[in-house]
Amino acid sequence: MSSGGDNHHLHHGAEPKRDEPTTPRVLTILSCVLEKLVARNDQLVLGSAQLGKSLSAFHGVRAPNITIPNYMERIYKYTNCSPSCFVVGYVYIDRLVHKYPDSLVVSLNVHRLLVTSVMVASKILDDVHYNNAFYARVGGVSNTELNKLEIELLFLLDFGVTVSSRVFEIYCQHLEKEMLCNDATRVIERLAISNSVDDVTEISVEDTQTSSPPQIVD
Amino acid sequence: MAIAAPEQLNISEVPAWGSRGVDCFEKLEQIGEGTYGQVYMAREIKTGEIVALKKIRMDNEREGFPITAIREIKILKKLHHENVIKLKEIVTSPGPEKDEQGPPDGNKYRGGIYMVFEYMDHDLTGLADRPAMRFSVSQIKCYMRQLLTGLHYCHVNQVLHRDIKGSNLLIDNEGNLKLADFGLARSFSSDHNANLTNRVITLWYRPPELLLGTTKYGPAVDMWSVGCIFAELLHGKPIFPGKDEPEQLNKIFELCGAPNEDIWPGVSKIPWYNNLKPSRPMKRRLREVFRHFDRHALDLLDKMLTLDPSQRISAKDALDAEYFWTDPLPCDPKSLPKYESSHEFQTKKKRQQQRQHEENAKRQKLQHQQQHSRLPPIQQSGHAHAQMRPAPNAPMHGSQTQVVGGPSHHYGKPRGPSQGAGRYPPGGNPSGGYSHPNRGQGGGYGSGPYPPQGRGPPYASSGIPGAGPRGGGGSGYGSGGPNYPHGGQYGASGTGRGSNMVSGNRNQQYNWQQ
Repeated sequence: MSSGGDNHHLHHGAEPKRDEPTTPRVLTILSCVLEKLVARNDQLVLGSAQLGKSLSAFHGVRAPNITIPNYMERIYKYTNCSPSCFVVGYVYIDRLVHKYPDSLVVSLNVHRLLVTSVMVASKILDDVHYNNAFYARVGGVSNTELNKLEIELLFLLDFGVTVSSRVFEIYCQHLEKEMLCNDATRVIERLAISNSVDDVTEISVEDTQTSSPPQIVD
Repeated sequence: MAIAAPEQLNISEVPAWGSRGVDCFEKLEQIGEGTYGQVYMAREIKTGEIVALKKIRMDNEREGFPITAIREIKILKKLHHENVIKLKEIVTSPGPEKDEQGPPDGNKYRGGIYMVFEYMDHDLTGLADRPAMRFSVSQIKCYMRQLLTGLHYCHVNQVLHRDIKGSNLLIDNEGNLKLADFGLARSFSSDHNANLTNRVITLWYRPPELLLGTTKYGPAVDMWSVGCIFAELLHGKPIFPGKDEPEQLNKIFELCGAPNEDIWPGVSKIPWYNNLKPSRPMKRRLREVFRHFDRHALDLLDKMLTLDPSQRISAKDALDAEYFWTDPLPCDPKSLPKYESSHEFQTKKKRQQQRQHEENAKRQKLQHQQQHSRLPPIQQSGHAHAQMRPAPNAPMHGSQTQVVGGPSHHYGKPRGPSQGAGRYPPGGNPSGGYSHPNRGQGGGYGSGPYPPQGRGPPYASSGIPGAGPRGGGGSGYGSGGPNYPHGGQYGASGTGRGSNMVSGNRNQQYNWQQ
């Protein structure tokens, strides 16, 4: 990781950031779309919607502190993967929820789904990419768990990890549309604020309290 | 997810892979081994069908699921062709297995993940390396046509194989040839604008543009490899056995001439051209060196081994070449002789030891003694070549009598009507077309010699050990660990077919080895 050692304090405001890449617009859109989705699904779960077991490997006990936009930007910043990996990762998540309609992307699983799918996308797309161990550190999960999640994702997708350029294009257009529907100003404002919590060197989305995932209602 | 449009894009799925366990199969014997893990010949208990099980090596914690396996699976999932190896399914083993570490955690994949392939008896290299093995001209045409047909299919589907070589061309006892090991394969876009890694393709089969460092390339890279294999079949041994990249380029330039802007526009802009360009002008000598080849074969080879990738012949055009439409025509695969399986692991070990003895014996012989080479194809015309090599004690095909300390060439009793050809014969049969009395005229692709779909699972017919000297694992299933050494270990293995120098950056260096 690039930023300094055990420096856990947060940077604020005007201080210029080192190696700060410009966040690609697609990440902004994607995080916004995912946040909306998670917020809605969380409501559904609260309203006692029944969740299937398919995604249970990705469920944490509690939602990690880091927000979705920050998490995505963190992955982007440290792994240097191409922005297309996020779109393709999103395609994977979308394929999952269509294949297993009783499963929902919620705040308890969205982080693990994200880091796993972006990592797999990067393995597929980028001839040069970081290994699982690195993604695990960036994503705040253990190497062992990420490996397990990777296999889980591959089998859930039935190894359907190919995304044709046509499909890719369609997803991009869809994301564009989503963005237009949104209150763009609000998103940009919020991102400007949230940018500043990115330099935490180590994060964890792992459950520290208990090692077993919560039982999902059948 | 509330997405309307993309929802329709999800293809309906076949029953999920990974839902069955490896215990649906009975392992019969190990047919390959290396640093990658193991390949087994196995029988599906329910159907009795013989398959090959390739275990996916999962013990590199830091790398996770091997990228080569992901690529291979995703690509084979969409390729369905009689000349492309069929990945039937993926099965898992819940373990525990002795060689797996880690505490029990209820992970159903912990014991291992296996790819299930159709079983193939041989690979082209193993077959060609059998002592006394002689391919007939129509047999070579038959293999070449299948190779090109399979590759054309891949290219049409925008897949680059990126590791075409003899040991990745599997052959069954029905004479069918299939492309295998898609661990380095990837999709490409037709504009060739993506930046791709140039550290692919086993060194001996790697085209000049990759050796010069280009990162924008397309299907032509595979066609170069095909040209190398074609020449190897005709010539009897690999034509560019370089031991590192500079030597590899040099060998290519010596045969194909040195590139310049005239014959290869744009070559001077390729990244490493200025460092690696030849110090002196070199003439293309291909037609001269291989002047004893059949005229049509030479024409085709010339087009395959064209330095400029944009001028190199495509798989499709190669299939239309005169070579495949003149006598002797490619034979029907089913008419080819059946050989004992080249995969018996134990036999391979024996062969390896035997090979070792031979090597040692050879080393004690004269320095100028040629290294082991295969025999050039049987000349089916009535013309015997001017230079006929003596063939003392010629062991019959399949016999085990290849003696330790024997001659470095394996001479065989020719199965064809005439005697063998020498290498680079001084006055050999230049441009004399072959004539084959038994082959009729052939029409289009569909007109005969090429069989339609469908073949039963090939069974290894006997336990009689073959006598091919190729040691090592049955690498055709993509298991050839020795072919993917880390940087620098060129030729370190006696079993590798050249080196595949694909390491290079800290993130990837383990990815290629499985």
